[in-house]
Amino acid sequence: MVLLEFERILDRLGGWLIHADFGLGLLFVVGLSMSLSHVFALFANRLSSRQILCRLLLDAVVLALAFLLSSSIDMVLLRLYASNPVHPSDLVNGMATCLLPACFYVCVAAPYIGETIGFVIWVLMHLNVVTFVHVRFALPWDQSLLLCTPGYVLAVVVVALLFRQGWQRSYAMLASELAEP
Amino acid sequence: MNQAGRIQQWSQRLNLRLLILVLALGLGLNLVGVGHLLVAFHWMLSPADLQLLVQLGSLLVMVLIAAAGIYSLVSEFAFWEGWLQGLPAPASLFEPAAAGRAPYRCYLVYLDGIHQLERDHPPRVSNFLALLEQHLPDDTLLVRGLETYTVMPVALAEDAGSAWFWRRLFALQEHYPSPWIQLLAAVLVQANNVIKVGISSDRRYGPILNYELALKISLRLAEAGFRPDTGSSIVLSGYSGGAEMAMGVADYLRRITRSPVSIISFCGVFSGNQVLHQLAGITTIVGSKDPVAAFGRFAYPGRSPLLPLSNWNKSLAAGRIHRLEIEGMNHNGNQGPFSDAFRWPVVRAILASLPP
Repeated sequence: MVLLEFERILDRLGGWLIHADFGLGLLFVVGLSMSLSHVFALFANRLSSRQILCRLLLDAVVLALAFLLSSSIDMVLLRLYASNPVHPSDLVNGMATCLLPACFYVCVAAPYIGETIGFVIWVLMHLNVVTFVHVRFALPWDQSLLLCTPGYVLAVVVVALLFRQGWQRSYAMLASELAEP
Repeated sequence: MNQAGRIQQWSQRLNLRLLILVLALGLGLNLVGVGHLLVAFHWMLSPADLQLLVQLGSLLVMVLIAAAGIYSLVSEFAFWEGWLQGLPAPASLFEPAAAGRAPYRCYLVYLDGIHQLERDHPPRVSNFLALLEQHLPDDTLLVRGLETYTVMPVALAEDAGSAWFWRRLFALQEHYPSPWIQLLAAVLVQANNVIKVGISSDRRYGPILNYELALKISLRLAEAGFRPDTGSSIVLSGYSGGAEMAMGVADYLRRITRSPVSIISFCGVFSGNQVLHQLAGITTIVGSKDPVAAFGRFAYPGRSPLLPLSNWNKSLAAGRIHRLEIEGMNHNGNQGPFSDAFRWPVVRAILASLPP
C-alpha cells in the first residue's frame, strides 16, 4: 500500500518534471551565466584551472537551486494567498522563461558598466515574473507584486552573499601580500 | 607673409574644403545607399522582421562592448595568477637602503592620458614634460615614460592577451596610412585605455589592477634610485585618465614604498572610489572650459555631492583636496594643457603643488 502510494507520488513528480523541463533546463543556464559573471573572483583567489572549473559548475548548481527555491517560495505564497489557483509546473516553467534576461548575466563581468547591466537584468527579471503571474494566472498587479517579491529578495541575497564572499577572500589575499615585511 | 606662405595657406584651405565636400558627398551617397538597402530590406522583410533585426543588432553591440571589457581583464588576471612570469613580491622590489639620504627628496611620476600606446610620449607631451623637468627643483626627479595602461612594463603592441590584435592594427596603419585607418587606430587605442580606466575604478577588479600597476611603478622607482625609509616622497601626476590610475595606485604605492604619496592631477577624469584618506595630499588642476573633466563628475557617482560618505567626498570634507582652476583651458588640442598657450600655467601649477 505504502509502495503504491510512493510510486504514485514519484509518477506525479515525473510528470511534473517533464512538464517543467524547459524551465528547469533554463534555470541551470541562468545559474551558469551568473556563475561565469564572477569567474574573475575565482581567478583573484588564485585557484587552479581544475578548481575554477569545479567551482564554476558548483556555483551554477547552487544558483539554479537558489532560483528554484525562490520559485518555490513564490509557489507556496501564491498557493496560500492568491485569489486564483496556480499550477506549480506552469509556474516554474513560466518563471524560468521570465529569467531569460539572466542568460546575459555573464555581461555583468564587464568592468565599470557591469553593475548597471546587473541592476537592469535584476529589475527586468522581477518585472517579467510579476507580469507573468498577472497575465497567466489573472491575479491583480498588487497581489502579483506582493507575492512574488519575497522569493525575489531571497534570490538577490543568496547571489550577493555568494559573490561577496568570493571577492572578499581575494581582497584578503591581496592584503596579505601587502603585509609582507 | 610671402608669396609661398600665402599659396600654402590657400592650398591648405582648399584641401580642407575639398575634404569637407568629399565627406558631405560620401555621407549623402551613404544615406542614399542606406535608403536603398532599407527599401530592399523592406521588400524582403516585414516591419516586424526589421524591428527584430534592429533589436538583435543593438543587443549584439551591447554584448560586444561587454565582451571587449571582459577580454581586457584577461591579462591583468593572468599576471595576478603568475602565468605571465613577472609578478614581483613587494619585499624584493628595493635593495636595502644605504646609510644616508636618498639622491632625490621627491620622485614625480608622470602618468599619461588615454592616448598613450607606447613608452615614448607624443611630441606635445614630451615638450610639456621637458619644460616641467627644466623647472623642477634639483632634489626632484621626473619619472616619465611609464606605460600606464599595461600591467607589464611593455607597450600596447606587446601586451599579453591583446598583442595579436594591436600588432595587426599597427601593421595595417603602417601599410595603409590613410586618415580613416589612423582615426580607427586612435579610437581603438583610446577605447582600450578607457576600458583600463573603467577596470581601475571598478570595485571588483580595481584592487588587483591597481596593485599590479603600483608594483610596476615601484620597479621603475627602484631603477631610478628610490629606496624606502630614506625620507623621499612620491608625487603621482596624472593627465586625464592617468589621474584615475594615479588615484587607484596611490594607496598601494604608499604601502609598498612606505613613503608619503601625493597626487597632482590635471584635466583629470577619475572616480574617487579609492582609498584616499592616508595620502599626503591631492591637488586637481582643472580647466574652466574642460568638458571631459566635468563629465567625470557625472560619470562617477562617487564624486556627486549626493553621496557624502564616498571616499572622495570624505577627503573633500576633510580638506585634503585642493582645486586649482586655469581660466580658459580645455581638455586637449590648441587650448589643452599641452598647448603653447597653457603649457606654462599647468607646469607652474604643478610646481606650486609639489610637497615642500
